[in-house]
Amino acid sequence: MKTEPGSGSCIQQILQKKAQPVRRDPAKAPTHDVREELFELEARGELIVHRVPEPYLEVQTKFGRTKKIPVEHTWHHKSCGQCGHIPGYSSSIVWLHRQLGLDYVDPTDQTSCTGWNYYASGASNPAAQTAVMCRNFAAAYQAGYYPLIHCGTSYGHYKEVREELVHHQHLRDEVRRIMDKLNKPLVVPEEIVHYSEWVHAMRHRIAERQVIDMSHIRACIHAACHYHKIVVEDAIYDPNILKGERTAIITGVLQALGITVEDYSTWFDCCGFGFRHILVERDFTRSFAISRKIEVMKREVNPDMVVVQDTGCYTTLDKSQFIGKAHQRDVGIPAFSDAQITALALGAHPFRVVQMHWGSTDWRPLMAKLGIDWQTYKDEFDADVEAIRRGDKKAVTWEDCDAPVVTKTK
Amino acid sequence: MSRVLTIGSGPAGLEAARCVAELGYDVTLIEQLDRLGGTPEIERYAKLTHHFRDSEEAMREMITAVTSKPNVQVLPNTTVLSASGEAGKFRVAVKNGGAPQEIEAGAIIIATGFQHFDPGRETQYYNYYSLPDVITISDLEGMLKDHAVLRPSTGTPPQKVAFIQCVGSRDRQIGNEYCSKVCCGIASKQAIEIREQLPDSQVFIFYIDMRMYGYWEPQLYWPAQEQHKVTYVKGLVSEILPQGDRILIRGEDTTMGRPMEITLDMVVLSVGMEPSEGTKSMAGVFGVEQNQYGFIATGGASGIDPVATSRPGIFVVGAAAGPSDLDDSFSTAGLAAVRAASVLRNGGK
Amino acid sequence: MRAWEAGKQADCYPHVAREEKERLFREIKDDERYTDYLYGCYECGICVSACPSARFYNYSPRVIAQAMAREDTDRVYEILIEDIWNCAQCFSCTRCPRQNNPGGLVSIIREVAVRNGIQETRDVLQGYSRVIYKVMLKGNQVSPDMLQPEFFADWGTWVEGFTKNMREWRRAIPLESLRGVTDASWRTDHKTLVELYTIWFETGNVELIREVDEGLYELLKNTMEEELEDAEDED
Repeated sequence: MKTEPGSGSCIQQILQKKAQPVRRDPAKAPTHDVREELFELEARGELIVHRVPEPYLEVQTKFGRTKKIPVEHTWHHKSCGQCGHIPGYSSSIVWLHRQLGLDYVDPTDQTSCTGWNYYASGASNPAAQTAVMCRNFAAAYQAGYYPLIHCGTSYGHYKEVREELVHHQHLRDEVRRIMDKLNKPLVVPEEIVHYSEWVHAMRHRIAERQVIDMSHIRACIHAACHYHKIVVEDAIYDPNILKGERTAIITGVLQALGITVEDYSTWFDCCGFGFRHILVERDFTRSFAISRKIEVMKREVNPDMVVVQDTGCYTTLDKSQFIGKAHQRDVGIPAFSDAQITALALGAHPFRVVQMHWGSTDWRPLMAKLGIDWQTYKDEFDADVEAIRRGDKKAVTWEDCDAPVVTKTK
Repeated sequence: MSRVLTIGSGPAGLEAARCVAELGYDVTLIEQLDRLGGTPEIERYAKLTHHFRDSEEAMREMITAVTSKPNVQVLPNTTVLSASGEAGKFRVAVKNGGAPQEIEAGAIIIATGFQHFDPGRETQYYNYYSLPDVITISDLEGMLKDHAVLRPSTGTPPQKVAFIQCVGSRDRQIGNEYCSKVCCGIASKQAIEIREQLPDSQVFIFYIDMRMYGYWEPQLYWPAQEQHKVTYVKGLVSEILPQGDRILIRGEDTTMGRPMEITLDMVVLSVGMEPSEGTKSMAGVFGVEQNQYGFIATGGASGIDPVATSRPGIFVVGAAAGPSDLDDSFSTAGLAAVRAASVLRNGGK
Repeated sequence: MRAWEAGKQADCYPHVAREEKERLFREIKDDERYTDYLYGCYECGICVSACPSARFYNYSPRVIAQAMAREDTDRVYEILIEDIWNCAQCFSCTRCPRQNNPGGLVSIIREVAVRNGIQETRDVLQGYSRVIYKVMLKGNQVSPDMLQPEFFADWGTWVEGFTKNMREWRRAIPLESLRGVTDASWRTDHKTLVELYTIWFETGNVELIREVDEGLYELLKNTMEEELEDAEDED
């Protein structure tokens, strides 16, 4: 973006005005504050509001309200797409917590939000969707840990479901009846928090531990639709990031790591995931991801990578490029989640932690540019795999991974 | 008591003061700034909509018509602190520079106007603060006045320019559900001026509805299309983003029924009206009701009176009551002057 | 898929009784979210501009909002049969200045289409059945063992490489709840799954599947009932 001023005094005035970040006045927020409604329902004895545990960090959301982000004591509400097909995404999130010595749990008393199925097929109903959410929230509450949602769709879906729950008495009654049957309380957390919000809020503490210089790296980002387009008032905006005009998610942490974040003309476009399309009608997903996202980035910016904050966006942007390459389209941008690239910056093992072998796009040029001797780590991991195959090693464990290992070769 | 207090010195306040004075009553006109003229003066309007009169010249005439009257007292640099009393006998404490002062008045006319919507609060993705070449209609007025319509990023004249209508108006997401009334006319006026100043330029206007009531059709809309070849497209823009060193807008051409993308040099946001800070604070000081948008509520006892507030003896004119064009401002000013005069004449009744 | 053009034949499904179309539309409008999802339409095109599907299919969220606001029963029926499956459910369209939610309307219509066992809906969801099976039984939408080359040929040679190594790769994950799990995304407690089955039964979500796929319904119902009975015996 050019910033050299044009001539004329009124142009100077305009540029001065634009130098200010967007002013967000919570008093002018056009939407209600759902937290106030939750506390009212709690006061009436209808439900329990799960308070954000201390210590927490405060961030600003779209209309200038303050949101609490728990630092630790978190219940990692995992994502089925991540855990199933991008396990290094989930591992990286948890690895960052371990690096910072933070208290967390990796629960097995958790189901998916099942929102992906709902958005794909409509083969469910509001009562079922709400009960699934409340069951998970009750499990976290009973475990004494605060839910940290790994998936963008779970995050967005839960916020929509929360709206319905707050506004419809009969839905609360119905879900309470089911929770009674399960012997669980009806609980809704004070804030619904996405892991990328935690990464954002913690970015300066994270950056203190950076061992890999990334200041020569240029990235495009893609923020998930279900993060910043559903119940928009909950998404994080920071006046000092993108002038406060777009969500600060991803951009904030990448800038804290010294990465240059480049703009492109389809920034707001969906990735093309489509929920049902990615599973059974991928011609749409592929075409959209290639022609509206990857090729546009390539043409306008030619970045070293594209960084996302959600399961579906990662899958779409990573897996769709193969067919583009086969058809000689202008593709070839490695995809990463913010959690994975952050873990790499802190020296996480590219395979044991970040699990790059699950990715389809070619991450090798980026590794070379970062000065990471990926082959050494790949050999190490391949040896793990062979040892597991032979039965000499049961698994890769946190003991194999906790210590940062990556150093630059030059 | 034979004095009317008028607050604000934009077109509506000036016209109200002039009318009261010509009806033979005393007027005190207070203005918080050091100079008279209100928004056309502060924002350096080029030409007035819809008459194409030079704004500076027209405002000068209006100011002189007020300041030249012996029964008008003008107090610039003055703010209202508090008010008491009732119709026929109000006492208003003001601060003139550093000195507090009390004004006795039989009736009060509030003419504190509007402010432009801050495009940073838009819920589409217009990136006003991020992109230098995205400006507002009020930014453009200054450029037109200086005959320097230039891209802020380069200082060079734009070749392709687009206006986007209804920014901050008619939008439930923002809470401004009303039409700001004047932006269709202003954008068309400005489009004509750009075409006159930059004959090689191409100008688009993206709109939901063009609200060209009355004579605005032959004065603005038709000439813009027919003589100045301004392109009107029915469909709004959802995003403005950089594309190389230019900007890309994205919308739907709803007439043709398909998504559209156009690369441009400059985009002008037709930002709507919101109550000014002065309007909101005067509503508090005088205890008059505001509508849900913060403008001063009108209607009076009949429910249809366009200048009566919720308190007898206190009247509101121009854009302090809601989006107004110049015709509205003059009409309400004259009506409020007559109402205020009859309050004085009938001793507060 | 046939394009909708104003002025042309409005009714694409003349063989379907008007009463049936009206009944389905009433069911859509009876959803309590309907009035929060549809106000009026300015025809501003913001929703279409932001919509990924509008760039790929003959699909328009604006037409959906308009057809429903105008109560065009024939067109709404056509939307129910065809258009809804083009929506990517990204909710980019919710930027509507009138605060319409065309994506949300699509969610409601899909629910109605599923609940009524519309034949075209069953056809659309046929290839998707194995996902419903997975999500209802395992509580996960996808799992590693679903990544098979015949379903994901377009993801390239990576899938083949993955299939050969799946078991070992799944053990080479430090996050405990994932480690070694191939038929689900993570290891879920049996008690948790039983609770999930209870939710599916209590909310009518099991019966709903009968309308999608009878065979799948029988399979899911029997499996879940057995698990629930075993769990009761354990108590």
